[in-house]
Amino acid sequence: MNYPANTAAARGLALCHVCGHLDKVELHECSRCGGGLHLRKTDSLQRTLALLVTAVILYIPANVLPIMNTVQLGKGEPATILGGVVLLINLGSYPIAAVIFIASVMVPVAKLMALFYLVWNGYRKVPASGIQCTKIYRLTELVGKWSMVDVFVVAILVALIHLTGLLVILPGPAAVAFAGVVVSTILAAHAFDTRLIWDRMKEDND
Amino acid sequence: MQDISSQTHTACEECDLLIAVPAVAEGERAECPRCGHTLTQRPRQGFERSLSFALAACVFFAISLAFPFLTLANGGIENVMTLPEASIAIWREQDPVLAVIVFLAIIALPIALIGTIIALVTPLVLNKQAAWLPGVGKLMFGLNDWAMVDVFVIGTIVSLVKIAKLATVILGLSFWAYILFAICLTASLSGLDRLQVWKAIDAATP
Ligand SMILES: [Zn+2]
Ligand SMILES: [Zn+2]
Repeated sequence: MNYPANTAAARGLALCHVCGHLDKVELHECSRCGGGLHLRKTDSLQRTLALLVTAVILYIPANVLPIMNTVQLGKGEPATILGGVVLLINLGSYPIAAVIFIASVMVPVAKLMALFYLVWNGYRKVPASGIQCTKIYRLTELVGKWSMVDVFVVAILVALIHLTGLLVILPGPAAVAFAGVVVSTILAAHAFDTRLIWDRMKEDND
Repeated sequence: MQDISSQTHTACEECDLLIAVPAVAEGERAECPRCGHTLTQRPRQGFERSLSFALAACVFFAISLAFPFLTLANGGIENVMTLPEASIAIWREQDPVLAVIVFLAIIALPIALIGTIIALVTPLVLNKQAAWLPGVGKLMFGLNDWAMVDVFVIGTIVSLVKIAKLATVILGLSFWAYILFAICLTASLSGLDRLQVWKAIDAATP
């Protein structure tokens, strides 16, 4: 692989994964902290893709199965994530319905699509502009953990309502699947290397 | 072009542009001329501020563990929920994986993060040497992405709206302490720039 002349990689220099120290890649280990030295994250695109596929697979049960089950007088009433949003709208809690819809539905889907787009650009001969892809990447990093909101809501409702005895709320299988989606997309963002896109751009294109 | 080394140059983490190490004064920030990534920043009295906020966060966290988080009032009966119960209740409902995820995200990892910040920054502020600093530094930056204190605060507020129709919820002392804990943790982390921290660790490791 030929790296553009203005990069550190072109001179055999790499940033330490742990401490960010610039060091000669042939040392393999950072001379400051002992962390790994690689010109680019190893198997970045394959690993990102594998984690994204995992997230997509988990996303199905996360939406189809109930995230919680309200048991009242022996009768169970399962609710999915989208069902919960509809219920909040019916109750007139529009701002909270919007928070849950954005955090649990829009953000994960947008994040998955954005990361698939970035991986695709990593494989393309002529990718989209480096600055545009880098900005998309920063967004995916920023929103990463916020999708956990719904999982925490379930945790609090289970603990709080459980105490009353009249009504029991049980966690549904979608809750753990959804937490899995959040964790795999965070790991996928970590695995992706934006420098792969810059590597494919012409040098005058800055 | 012979004089390029790890002493004189650094690279951008996101686009790998080779850059002469920028001189950053207190209160200044250096960014990559090509992609705009923040290379490094030096907040005023960064380490001192980080340490004070971390110590305050410790106190608020202790309070949030010791007092009621939320109290549910339902027809003369009062049910008190503590912070750890958000995880324990799920454990009781036979969902150990979800219980562990919640416990890690809102209690274990945040307290580990605070602990590592204090262990790391105290010697740096006091100008003491310590051989274990690189290890603690690695741990701290690794934990950073997984503490979901702020997300849990939003989750609590969403739950409150959902329960409001069913029963009266009283916000406990622990709830307010947890919010202050979240604010102090964020403020503490904002004083810790990766490059500056590692430069200081390097200088303080015998
Ligand atoms: Zn290193
Ligand atoms: Zn850059």
